[in-house]
Amino acid sequence: MRKIIVSILGHDRPGIIAAVSEVLFRNGCNIEDVSQTILQTEFAGVFIASCPDSLDIDQLGSSLRERLDPMDLSMLLRKMEAAGVWDPPPAEPFVITTMGPDRPGLVAGITGLLASFGVNISNLKAVFRGGINPDENTMIYEVDIPTSVDKTSFREALYGRGREMSLEVSLQHRDIFEAIHRV
Amino acid sequence: MLTHIEILSTLEMLKNEHLDVRTVTLGISLLDCASDEPQRFIDSMISRIGVVARDLVSVCDEVGIRYGIPIVNKRIAVSPIAVAACSRSPQEMVEVARAMDSAAKAVGVDFIGGFSALVEKGFTKGDRALIEAIPEALAATEHVCSSINAASTRAGINMDAVYLMGKTIKRTAELTGERDAIGCAKLCVFANIPEDVPFMAGAFLGVGEPQAVINVGVSGPGVVKKALDRAREANPRLDLGQLSEIIKHTAFKVTKVGELIGRRVAEGLGVPFGVVDLSLAPTPNVGDSVGEIFQSLGLGSIGVPGTTAALALINDAVKKGGAFASSYVGGLSGAFIPVSEDLNIAESARKGFLSIEKLEAMTSVCSLGLDMVALAGDTSAETLAAIIADEMAIGVINKKTTAARLIPVPGKKAGQKAHFGGLLGEATIMPAPGMDNSGEFIRLGGRIPAPIQSLTN
Repeated sequence: MRKIIVSILGHDRPGIIAAVSEVLFRNGCNIEDVSQTILQTEFAGVFIASCPDSLDIDQLGSSLRERLDPMDLSMLLRKMEAAGVWDPPPAEPFVITTMGPDRPGLVAGITGLLASFGVNISNLKAVFRGGINPDENTMIYEVDIPTSVDKTSFREALYGRGREMSLEVSLQHRDIFEAIHRV
Repeated sequence: MLTHIEILSTLEMLKNEHLDVRTVTLGISLLDCASDEPQRFIDSMISRIGVVARDLVSVCDEVGIRYGIPIVNKRIAVSPIAVAACSRSPQEMVEVARAMDSAAKAVGVDFIGGFSALVEKGFTKGDRALIEAIPEALAATEHVCSSINAASTRAGINMDAVYLMGKTIKRTAELTGERDAIGCAKLCVFANIPEDVPFMAGAFLGVGEPQAVINVGVSGPGVVKKALDRAREANPRLDLGQLSEIIKHTAFKVTKVGELIGRRVAEGLGVPFGVVDLSLAPTPNVGDSVGEIFQSLGLGSIGVPGTTAALALINDAVKKGGAFASSYVGGLSGAFIPVSEDLNIAESARKGFLSIEKLEAMTSVCSLGLDMVALAGDTSAETLAAIIADEMAIGVINKKTTAARLIPVPGKKAGQKAHFGGLLGEATIMPAPGMDNSGEFIRLGGRIPAPIQSLTN
C-alpha cells in the first residue's frame, strides 16, 4: 500500500471535500486523515490517503484536476515518502501567545526564532485586524519544545524578540490550559 | 487542540483577574526531632527544615514560570511544637520559635506555622509552656505563626484555654504595641482545626500527616468577581441560581490550576501531594477582594442585610466547583473574611456597615471566622475570651472550623486605624458593644460539653 497527500486551495464553497473524496473513492483510495481550514474567504484542505499499488498516480492527478479545475481550485498531489522524513525529538508541549499592534514581520520574527531553536509549531492561529486592540492582533502558537533546548535561554530569547516587536509574549506549558478548560 | 477562546480566556484570568496560586505550603514533620536536650531538638529542627525545604522556593518559582501561574506565597508548616518539643520550658519554647524564624528566613519562605497546641480537651505540660511562650515568641520573630485549637465538636469548648488565650492575645498585643499589635495577626484560636491547612496563621502539620507533604491554597476572589461581572453584563436577567453556577465553574478552574501546580511542586521536591484548600482568600489589592463579590451580586456593600445569604451562596458554590475539580480537597475550604486584608471589607467596616456581630453571623455559613478584627486597646482579656468563646460555639455546634484572630491595638480606640503592612493590610478598629460584661461567665472556666449529635435543629 502506498500513501498519497493531496492539498487543495481556493475560494470556499459547498462541495469541495465531496468532489475530492469522490475522485479518491472512485480510484480505490482510502482516506486516512483529512483536515480543512477557512481563512477569510479561502479554503485549504489536506488529505492523506492510502492507495492500491496498481494505481497510476499521474492518472489520479489528471482525474482530480479534471474535477477541480472547473471549480477554480488549485491542487497538489504527492507521494508520501517514508525515508528522509524529519524525526521529531522528545519534546514538551507549550503554548506561546503574543498580543500587540499589527505591523509587518511579526510572524516571521517569532517563527524565525522558533526555527533557530528547533521548536516545532504543531498548531498556529494568528489574527491581525490592525489597530491597537490586542484581541484583534494575536498569535497563538502551540509548539513542541525539544527537551534538549534550555528553557531559560529560549524564554529569554522569545521575550526579547517580543520586546523588539512591541509584543506582549507569554510562554506556558500546555497542561495549564487543559487543566482550566477540560473536565 | 486547544481553542483560541480557551487560551485567551486563560490569559485574561492571569492578566486582569489575579489568577494565581495563593500559597504552596510544605508540611514538615518534626516529631522525630524530639529530644530531652533543648539544643539538640533545635539543631535537628533547623537541619530538617533546611534539608526538606531547601529547594521549595526555587521549585515553586520554576513551576510558576513554566505554567505561567504565579505562586504568591511559599510557606512551611511544622508539627505542633507543643507536641514535638513537649518537654521544653516556656523560655526554651521562645528559643524554639527564634530557631523556626531563622530556619524560615534561611530557606526564603514568608511564614512558618506550627507554633501550635491542640488543647480542646485539656493541657499537657508542653501545651502550657507553649502558650505561655506565645507573646514573647511572636514579638521576637517575624515569620513564625501560632495557632491554638481550643474547641472541637467531639470535645466541646475548653473554656480554660479560651480564657488563657484571651490573656495571651492581650499580652501579645502589649509586647508588639509599637507595631499596632502585629503579633496578634500571627495568632489564631480555632475550633475544629484541620490538620492540613496551607493558610496562615493556622497552618501546622497534623500528627496524622506524612513526614512531608505539599498543601496548596488556591487563588480566588478576583477571578470569581470578574466572572460574575462578565456574566451579568452579558445577561442582566441571570438569577441567583444561575450566578451560583458561574461561581461553581470558576471555582472548578482555579482548583484545577491549584492542584496541577501543587502536584508539580510536590514532584519537584519528591514529597507527596496533600490537598487543595478551596478558600477564597483576598489580598489588600484592588480587584482581589471577597467584599467586592458581594457588590457583584447586587449588594451595596458587604455587611448590609442580605450579606449572610450571599455568603452562603458563594461559599457553597466554591465548594461544589472545587470538589468536582479535585478529589483531594481539605484545609479550611471556605470564604475568608479577614477585615484588614481585604480593602473592600476594611472600607465597609470603616463605614460602619460591617460590625463584629454581623461578622459573627457570617461565620456561621463560612470559614474562617472573626479574622483580622482590630479592637480597642482597652478590650479586656475576659471580653476577648468571650468573643472567642462565641466563635468557638458556632464551629462546635455546626461541626465546622471557625477561628478568631483578634487584635486589641494598644493605645487606640474604636474608629481609629491600625496599620499592619503588607498582606496583613490595615483596618478600622471596631467597637465591641457590651464590653466588660462577660468577666464572670468567662472566669467560671471548665469545659463546655460536646454537643449532642442527634436532634439536629
